[in-house]
Amino acid sequence: MIIQVLINSLIATSIYSLITLGFVVIYRTVRFFHFAHGAVYAMGAYVAYSLFIGAGVPFVFALLLAALFAGFFGITIDRMIYLPMRRKKSSSLVMMLASFGAFIFIENLIAFIYGNQILTMRTGPIREGWHVLGAIITPIQTMILIVANVLMVLLWLFIQRTKLGKAMRAVADDPIAASVVGINPEKTILWSFFIGSSLAGIAGVLVSLETNLEPTMGFSALLKGIIAAIVGGIVSIPGAVLGALLLGFAENFGIWFIPAGWKDAIAFAILIIFLLFRPQGILGVKEK
Amino acid sequence: MEYLFHIFIIAGIYYILALSLNLIVGYTGLPSLGHAAFYCIGAYTSSLLALRFGVSPWIGLLAGAIFAAVLGLLIGAPSLRLKGDYLALATFGFGVIVYQIALNWVSFTRGPMGLPGIPGYSLFGFDLSQLWVFLILVVILSIACFFIINRIVNSPFGRVLRAVRDDEIAAKSLGKDTIKYKLLVFVIGAFFAGIAGSLYAHYITFIDPSSFTVMESVAILLMVIFGGMASLSGSLVGAVVLIFVPEILRFIGLPSSIAAQVRQMLYGAILVAFMLWRPQGIFGKYRFK
Repeated sequence: MIIQVLINSLIATSIYSLITLGFVVIYRTVRFFHFAHGAVYAMGAYVAYSLFIGAGVPFVFALLLAALFAGFFGITIDRMIYLPMRRKKSSSLVMMLASFGAFIFIENLIAFIYGNQILTMRTGPIREGWHVLGAIITPIQTMILIVANVLMVLLWLFIQRTKLGKAMRAVADDPIAASVVGINPEKTILWSFFIGSSLAGIAGVLVSLETNLEPTMGFSALLKGIIAAIVGGIVSIPGAVLGALLLGFAENFGIWFIPAGWKDAIAFAILIIFLLFRPQGILGVKEK
Repeated sequence: MEYLFHIFIIAGIYYILALSLNLIVGYTGLPSLGHAAFYCIGAYTSSLLALRFGVSPWIGLLAGAIFAAVLGLLIGAPSLRLKGDYLALATFGFGVIVYQIALNWVSFTRGPMGLPGIPGYSLFGFDLSQLWVFLILVVILSIACFFIINRIVNSPFGRVLRAVRDDEIAAKSLGKDTIKYKLLVFVIGAFFAGIAGSLYAHYITFIDPSSFTVMESVAILLMVIFGGMASLSGSLVGAVVLIFVPEILRFIGLPSSIAAQVRQMLYGAILVAFMLWRPQGIFGKYRFK
């Protein structure tokens, strides 16, 4: 039993990590809470659904195309809404509210197009999972674990090793100093939206394989992303994974004691405790 | 005509909500994304008192407001130590928590099944639940709320609130305990939202948690922003326009499920548009820092 909960926790952690990493990659360069991230995530899932179920595109290509789409979708939101606001030097709170507006708009647009009913991306007979130490893990879950963890390693290598990744770190540390040494902040922002949004899109597709698709799916994903990000330290990449780990385990082990309907309330209780007692998060540095 | 009365009643209830939130958001500059929590407590307190103990809705109105104010204190005391985006997130979180309590504490609130059969108001044996009578009641109460809140914002107390909003450090240096002022304003705002909740519950006679979601908080905030931050007449414009405009969707023959989605899309788009071009709202005097 405990092994099973452990496996479930790890799967939840993998998904939350992707969402949170995407959120953090974007937050580091723009410094406001990009609520529409949750809508990008749902959009990725629905695009993959249209391609895979609707048009019969092989799953791997549907996943890749959905990731690409989500990336460009994120960029579009940035260009249409955030860029004009950055030019006006809008405050982070105003940008967050605009982002919330965009989230509400897109979420309901999805419901408008696809309807409110639950859709499923699973095809064919349900295959029995493998038995591991008395627990069961399905092939889909195995795939989620592998894809998510490979992406995490790739993101880490990208940020640590490539020139663009270095630029992103520089902008995250000190945007003014970065522009002084010739890093174009707008180009960096564009890339961070592309990468962060693709990660959210992939997470959306993976989740919809494991559970289902609903127009409101982006909301709880958004909450998990924001909460894990703040708990981890908001600008820290390892912190994002740590925050996702804490949330994934707290949720899955919490079900032993508290019914599943309280999931979001528990997540927010964790957030509020952190905001009050350690606002900089686990790995964050206190702001001056 | 009946339909029009109904829409005016709803708009009146939202005017009270927008007024009370404007006190918090517009006049004191505290971004609150959880106003529906107070609305929810007002509605549930008053309904449960009436259904379980046969308490008169008039006492329920007061009890709902007081319970909401107490919740305002409980939420405000920890959250108001935070500022800006983080305060918005904390109030947002409390909004979700209160909603989930209403949804999951089934033995007490009946959860998603809701509370049916809530009694209406009556006065000296005279039934007030007829639409036009109720409309008069709502109008009287919203005018009363307007006068009280107007009095508050134009008093020396209100001046301190604006000082806290515009320059907290300066207000502190003049010896004002800014945290205390913020908390007090939060409690007052919650009190009036509780009144709106009780009114709503006894008018509709059925409540369930779906009327008190986070999206509801956003809608109230949107009314404040639309009409104008720190403008009480602006809130009237915000509440009336944002209640009336979506009703047009029904007239052009959209089925109600699609109309609900289009209404939300409209709200989302309006929020983006205002944040982009006019963050202080139509008649606003303040924008978020």
